[in-house]
Amino acid sequence: MPPQESTEKVAEEQSSFSRSTSKVRDFFSIPAPVKQLFDLVPVVTYPPNQLPLRAPKSARIPSLYVFSKDQDAAAGRPSFNPSCLKWQTFLNIAGVDHRLISSNNHSSPTGSLPFLLPAIYGPNSSQDSLVPITSNKFVKYAIEHGGKVEESSSMRYEAYQSLLDHRIRNAWLYTLYLEPLNFSAVAYPLYVLPTSSNPLVRASISHQLRSAAEAELLKNTSIIDTDDLYSEADKAFEALSILLGEDSWFFGSDKPALFDASVFAYTQLLLDDDLGWKEKKLCRALRRRANLVQHRERLLVRYFGGS
Amino acid sequence: MADPVDSGDELFESLRKIDLKKEEEKAKELARKEAEHNAKAQQRLAELIGTNSTLLVTISSIRLIGGAHTRRSFLDRLFNPLLSANRDRPYTLAEALNEVGSVATKLQRFDIFHPEVHTFIDRPSPTDPSSTVTDIDIFLQARERGRISLKTGTDLGNVEGSAYGNLTWRNIFGGAESLTLNASAGTRTRSAYQATFDAPVLSDPDTRATIDVLASSTLKPWASHEEVLKGAGAKFSWATKSGTRHQLGYTGVWRQITGLQSNASPTVRHDAGDTVKSSITHTWLADRRNHPFLPSRGYLVKTISELAGWGPLQGDVAFWKSEVETSGAVAIPIPGIKGDSGVSFTAGLRAGVLYPLAVGLGSETKHSRINDRFQLGGPTDVRGFKISGLGPRDGPDAVGGDIYAAGSANLLIPFPRVGKDMPLRLQLFANAGRLLALKDKKTSSESVYSTVAQLGDGIPSVAAGVGVVYAHPVARFELNFSLPLVMRRGEEGRKGLQFGVGINFL
Repeated sequence: MPPQESTEKVAEEQSSFSRSTSKVRDFFSIPAPVKQLFDLVPVVTYPPNQLPLRAPKSARIPSLYVFSKDQDAAAGRPSFNPSCLKWQTFLNIAGVDHRLISSNNHSSPTGSLPFLLPAIYGPNSSQDSLVPITSNKFVKYAIEHGGKVEESSSMRYEAYQSLLDHRIRNAWLYTLYLEPLNFSAVAYPLYVLPTSSNPLVRASISHQLRSAAEAELLKNTSIIDTDDLYSEADKAFEALSILLGEDSWFFGSDKPALFDASVFAYTQLLLDDDLGWKEKKLCRALRRRANLVQHRERLLVRYFGGS
Repeated sequence: MADPVDSGDELFESLRKIDLKKEEEKAKELARKEAEHNAKAQQRLAELIGTNSTLLVTISSIRLIGGAHTRRSFLDRLFNPLLSANRDRPYTLAEALNEVGSVATKLQRFDIFHPEVHTFIDRPSPTDPSSTVTDIDIFLQARERGRISLKTGTDLGNVEGSAYGNLTWRNIFGGAESLTLNASAGTRTRSAYQATFDAPVLSDPDTRATIDVLASSTLKPWASHEEVLKGAGAKFSWATKSGTRHQLGYTGVWRQITGLQSNASPTVRHDAGDTVKSSITHTWLADRRNHPFLPSRGYLVKTISELAGWGPLQGDVAFWKSEVETSGAVAIPIPGIKGDSGVSFTAGLRAGVLYPLAVGLGSETKHSRINDRFQLGGPTDVRGFKISGLGPRDGPDAVGGDIYAAGSANLLIPFPRVGKDMPLRLQLFANAGRLLALKDKKTSSESVYSTVAQLGDGIPSVAAGVGVVYAHPVARFELNFSLPLVMRRGEEGRKGLQFGVGINFL
């Protein structure tokens, strides 16, 4: 029975091979008596230590980290940062229950707010629940967690979104950070004062903010032309106004969607008198479009209790 | 043999050949004679001083030879108190030499001269009408060190390797002032730059004033973040007559918690961002141990107190922080071994408390932040636990605590055959620690008291083990096999081998 013999031989070889590999493994693994010793300790294990007082209280709902004042965050009022406000509004529209946490860019995994921290159920939750969800995954998250999400598939959607992301955003950056009157009246108290009480730190952060805004604007042009920025924004508002027309929501939808939230992110902040705008060119351009003003009112009443 | 020609040749040969042995012997003889001569001279001098030790002298002048870059006013402060013109009574010769010796030691300690400072004594010429019979002149001969030195190297610290560059400018204004620029980068310190200006006050090497500026960025993997610091400080340090040291300093530093890891805990995320700490710190140190890394007798007491943010200090954080560190060592005599057995027992105790305050004169108490809270655990404090393995934990992060206490007991035994003179010991240790966050109570003092009381709840977290200790001149190395015996859930023990390098062990 030669074939059997050879298989036996092969088996033998295999077993000797596995024996030698297990020897190698044994060399690196913990010897049995030591393993037994390790299993004995710790002899006593007490309940975990209490967390420090500043640690946020764990919640059963996810936490949305945004730029906000502490008391506004607790009351769920609109964030003062457009991209935070866009996603805050989106989550409200989608009906994803969340709490707001006032924070800053340093806490974010991407270096900018907002992000969502999933709900934590007790101290035994898995490590995954600590990994934050960045804003580009919010739509997916909302769908997965039973949110009502209207997907706008219109071809025109992209074009109008780019109006917001470029023309209006550029004018926004200019009017907030580079108009000196607005910077000291609006941006400074919102973005700089909460960081530190130290005047040197505040001066340094002010400088960083302004130069970051300038660098962002200079990405596409070689010089910053104020009139051009404002007139482009004016045209963009005009286009949005025409798009909305007599409808309640954009793209003739019967319910608001992400695009409505994107528009609201700017219209809410430009029309909010509490922010104390000093140079109001951009605000006036928006106020001339009555249907956009009404659109903002509609969302504010419906999702933020009209405050 | 008797052939004269032959013997003449031999003589010639012997002259031509350089007999190495003979040469060596000659050299030895010469050295011996010189040493003998020196010893005799020394002896004569000693005898001379001995017989004349009560001889009354007056020091009429002290001269430093080789101090071209050293300021006159700086030396005056050092030498003037010695001059007899400034004293009401004359010296005996022994006293005078003693005083001069201590000044020479002081000169060496300024770090501006090479270690050898020679002293010469001379009598002024009797023809000089201004001199008296008892007058002597002192000459100190020293060699100044290079004023600028550049050093680069690598450091191996606690789980951290780093490379550094160091530029020192010595004796800037001729008064032993120094400016040090230091830059380093490593595995955990991503970058660190520091400039330090240091100057002795009133020509006293033990009294120093220091100003420093720093910028650094350090990874804190135990709490998933990176801390960026920019700050400046001023310190004043002095020594008391009994040999204890004080340091009083002010620091203003802008701290940024940034670069969070993706799974950072909510506690760390909540503390991310900017804070300014403006604080005064006092440190007191009494070190009476016989060896800094491997003491067999003596004790050390150190206290650190820091007040931040309160009253005029301002800033973004406010607290009072106190820490005490003590350690003691006793040699254990072993019956049957004469003299020092090399076996010693050391014990250490550390404790700290952070008492929250309100910034400025406000009334709203600020809760502590992660960069102000204490961390505990690791191979250099509570062995048998990972770095920052003790205390409150949020997910993967050691978030620190406001109150801690830790103690250790070590028995150090010399290796058989190697002997007690090698700085190598076998160690048996047991150490324990507790790190707690303040409880939520109505007032700060209530929460501090109740948390201190909580230190006694149950057995503290304990680990024990055996290991090898090696005291290298620059640091102490330990390799231990440890077992954590008592823990809190979430605390990270280290079962098995643990390696520690440091200069300050519990």
